[in-house]
Amino acid sequence: MKKRMSFLLVFVLLIVSFLSACQKGSDTVKIAVVGPLTGDFAEYGTGFKNAVELMVKKWNDEGGVLGKEIKVVAYDDKNTGEEASSIAEKIVSDKGIIGVVGHFASGVCMAASPTYQESGIVEISPSASHPDYTSEGDYIFRNNTVINMEAKVAADLAIETLGKKKVGILSVKTDWGTKTAEITKDLVVKGGASVVACEEVVDGTLDFSPNITKLNDAGAEVIIVAAMYNILAPFATQYKSVNPNIELVGFSNAYSQQLIELAKENAENIHFPTIFFHASENEQVQQFVKDYEEKYGQMPSSLTAQAYDSAGMILTCIKNADKVSREAIKEELTKLEYPGVTGVTKYDDLGDAIKKFTKVKVENGQFVEIDN
Amino acid sequence: MIEQLLNGLALGMVYALIAVGYSLVFGVLRLVNFSHGSVYAFGAHMALFFVGLQFGVIPAIVFSIILTGILDILIDKFSLAPLRKKKSKGIAALITTIGIAYIIQNLLMIFFGSQTKPFPAIFDYGYVTVLGISIKSTQLFILVVSLILLAILTYVVKFTKIGLSMRAVEQNQKAASLMGINVNSVIRFTFFLGGASAAIAGSLISGYYQVVYPNMGFLAGLKAFSAAVLGGIGVLYGSIVGGLVVGVSESYAAALLGGSYRDAVAFIILIIVLLFKPTGLFGKKDITKV
Amino acid sequence: MAKKLALKNNTIVDWISKLRNYYYAHKKVFFIALAVLIVLTPYISPSQYILRIIIMVGIYTILALALGLVTGYTGQVSLGHASFYAIGAYTSALLSTHFGLNFFITVPISAIVAAIGGLLLGLPTLRLSGTYLAIATLGFCEVVRMILLNWQSVTNGPLGVSKIPRPSIFGYELTLANNGLYYLMIVLLILTTACMIAIVRSKMGRALKAIREDELAATMMGIKTTYYKVLAFVISAFFSGLAGAFYAHLIRYIDPNTFVFDTSIMILSIVILGGMGTINGMFLGSALLVSFPEVLRFLQEYRFVVYGIVLVMMMRFRPQGIMGGQKKSNYQFPSGTIMNRNTTQTKFSLSQENSVEGGV
Repeated sequence: MKKRMSFLLVFVLLIVSFLSACQKGSDTVKIAVVGPLTGDFAEYGTGFKNAVELMVKKWNDEGGVLGKEIKVVAYDDKNTGEEASSIAEKIVSDKGIIGVVGHFASGVCMAASPTYQESGIVEISPSASHPDYTSEGDYIFRNNTVINMEAKVAADLAIETLGKKKVGILSVKTDWGTKTAEITKDLVVKGGASVVACEEVVDGTLDFSPNITKLNDAGAEVIIVAAMYNILAPFATQYKSVNPNIELVGFSNAYSQQLIELAKENAENIHFPTIFFHASENEQVQQFVKDYEEKYGQMPSSLTAQAYDSAGMILTCIKNADKVSREAIKEELTKLEYPGVTGVTKYDDLGDAIKKFTKVKVENGQFVEIDN
Repeated sequence: MIEQLLNGLALGMVYALIAVGYSLVFGVLRLVNFSHGSVYAFGAHMALFFVGLQFGVIPAIVFSIILTGILDILIDKFSLAPLRKKKSKGIAALITTIGIAYIIQNLLMIFFGSQTKPFPAIFDYGYVTVLGISIKSTQLFILVVSLILLAILTYVVKFTKIGLSMRAVEQNQKAASLMGINVNSVIRFTFFLGGASAAIAGSLISGYYQVVYPNMGFLAGLKAFSAAVLGGIGVLYGSIVGGLVVGVSESYAAALLGGSYRDAVAFIILIIVLLFKPTGLFGKKDITKV
Repeated sequence: MAKKLALKNNTIVDWISKLRNYYYAHKKVFFIALAVLIVLTPYISPSQYILRIIIMVGIYTILALALGLVTGYTGQVSLGHASFYAIGAYTSALLSTHFGLNFFITVPISAIVAAIGGLLLGLPTLRLSGTYLAIATLGFCEVVRMILLNWQSVTNGPLGVSKIPRPSIFGYELTLANNGLYYLMIVLLILTTACMIAIVRSKMGRALKAIREDELAATMMGIKTTYYKVLAFVISAFFSGLAGAFYAHLIRYIDPNTFVFDTSIMILSIVILGGMGTINGMFLGSALLVSFPEVLRFLQEYRFVVYGIVLVMMMRFRPQGIMGGQKKSNYQFPSGTIMNRNTTQTKFSLSQENSVEGGV
């Protein structure tokens, strides 16, 4: 009996699965936000979703865009290319969706971007850093820092601001980490300092003692860490128990309240370049941080802020174009000069944005701006 | 280099603690319990939860141990026991444990968030000098506590009545039940031990690194599993040796080859050992019945 | 209430057995209808999204068929099939991006490279069994991933391989939009299925089944067990590599993160859920497990909790898989009669108990 029943169940589910995919378009304007809502990186995807919803709420409160209500459709890609490419098909087949904010990891973005490019829908990734990502096509943009620019500021922080000559590099073995480490290495040497040791770790590593031993034996005075907060924080804690005088420089990806919560006093004096600074005097930023904290009870991280601006840019482009069309958004994006919470965004031919960096450090458990 | 050895030993002890959980369950059920890694993460999160309720670190860990043990019993009662009753294939149980791992890990993410969360340091008194070598007190603590726990576990299995029944069930379930042993309750007790040791391992390692996150059990679980197999799965002291081998080799691999190779080394050693000794270092050879 | 349900169930059972008898009576018609359906699918599918899911189902079916040969028919549990998938994908991707080789040249090469990998992994099976084999395959998979991640000069490390060209025939590019990829998948799938059926029905298939049921007895019967086990691994790896190569050209970007332990588990789950030692079960299993996460999308973050529950429930109520024990018996039932379910079921459960040993 059960055999038959399960059989039937299977078929019903299959049919439902295929029917559920047939959706109808609607008169509202829809923005898709895609990111990992489940899996290891769910915190980032959830941040994307929250930020985009916040931005859309702001617009809807002011009467929507071109008089139409804006809706957010959130999709989970579990941070895998396989699911991302399926979702991309799902998104492009829904004619109501006019722009995409998302995909978290570069690899995932790049699995999905051919679909967006072929169908002609704008994808703005708040986090993709792979050098090849934007060259996929003219519909593919990112609202993330360009590695070269950020690495330059990071090297600057280590050599000029902290005044150290012996630099160690720790990087996470992802597309972003590897590339960043490579570029940083060159820039440090050009900046007149020497790279004494380079260490790589895989994501999810908790035990850095072998790396720390090597970096410390090489006599590093400052470590540039190309990794997210989940590596930087325990690394700082472990390093400072070995050598309390070590200086650390991070990247904007690690700019998150979580870092201070995890590393506590060991986070003191970690320096960052960042395009989003939550305590900035910019009114827009203050408003965003206030709204975000009110609604979600957390401080927005750098990537969240980048997602917030990405959504803002898409909506502004619709407004500027004065029509709801996927192609018009692309046209407008190339002309856009968008003042957002992550600074002014202006795209180059590839779809990369050159941004101004703020130098930040941790002081008394707070991120503060360094004046220079 | 001595430093790397100590790092490896501390890490290896924690692997050993997780590996023991695999070994215990494998011993009585001949089942690789893939949910064990997520149970370990569950233990760490429960400890974190109770710490958050201002219980103090030690009581919080005790609560977590009990809860995690109960969770493991529930897993057995609701998903594995029915399979045993139906005498379904071992591989069905394997997939079941994988399903459970999915459930636990995703629920942890939903309730605790996927971000990495801080965990209070346990027994952190800076450095201690023993025989002229300075050792991190937290490392020493991990080594000592896991040694004590493993000794207790070995005692329970080797010298108590319930341990005797466990070994009886391990050898022959049917014969054991004919001797008046309640096989199901023995299995349940084994699961409790497995869950409890996972919670202890989870709390210890969280206290050591001071971080907790839902996916922490995945890689640690795989490596502990390979440690258990390396030592001969089902053999308690084998798990300890396996854990130490994995921990130390990982530590040296990271130091000599670079951090990106460390995860592979444990597996390479495992494969090499298995090639020469197919049942692990101390594994008993299965008797082939004709 | 219970009675009513039982009655309803009975009618369903009647209905299904009638359908089944009808199927045996009109096999040809069914096959033609199926063939027409397969050909027409791209035209009746409501969107490319559905088509892509169907293609993914196809890829996983190939993978499951491949693993099915090792796990389902030979009884050797492998937790490392993602590695062959990866080897196939990388070989094809690198050959076509670096040397501009056509898909139809790179595919056989990458399948062969994967098969060599299978030989490397298959050799330990000479000595290992059960859990020890499972962990060795898992280890192999991790080692392959580490190589992909660290051998940067060749694999491009964590940056992955991007801009993999689409397959093309005489300059005609196959894409999702012109349904070329779909038909290519169908061709590969039919090829794999045909090979599997041929193998299973051959002398080799019988040898594999004998090894599964009782390796010692098989040895006594003069079957070269190690030879067949390694051969099964090699063939299995070959087809996994084939699936990988196709995947690379479908997604057009691959990095080591695609080929993780989860993928191996997914393939194994399909084999077990579909029913070990069946061919059609692999189709149904992958259709289910690939589409489940998509169907459950509305559950948002609870998606994989439910997925886990589904796995547990399936194993609880149907541990032999959907098609397991459903294999048609040699005895043809006269049309119109309802199968005597009680006797067949006891027969099946008996045959299952024989194969309880040797699980993981």
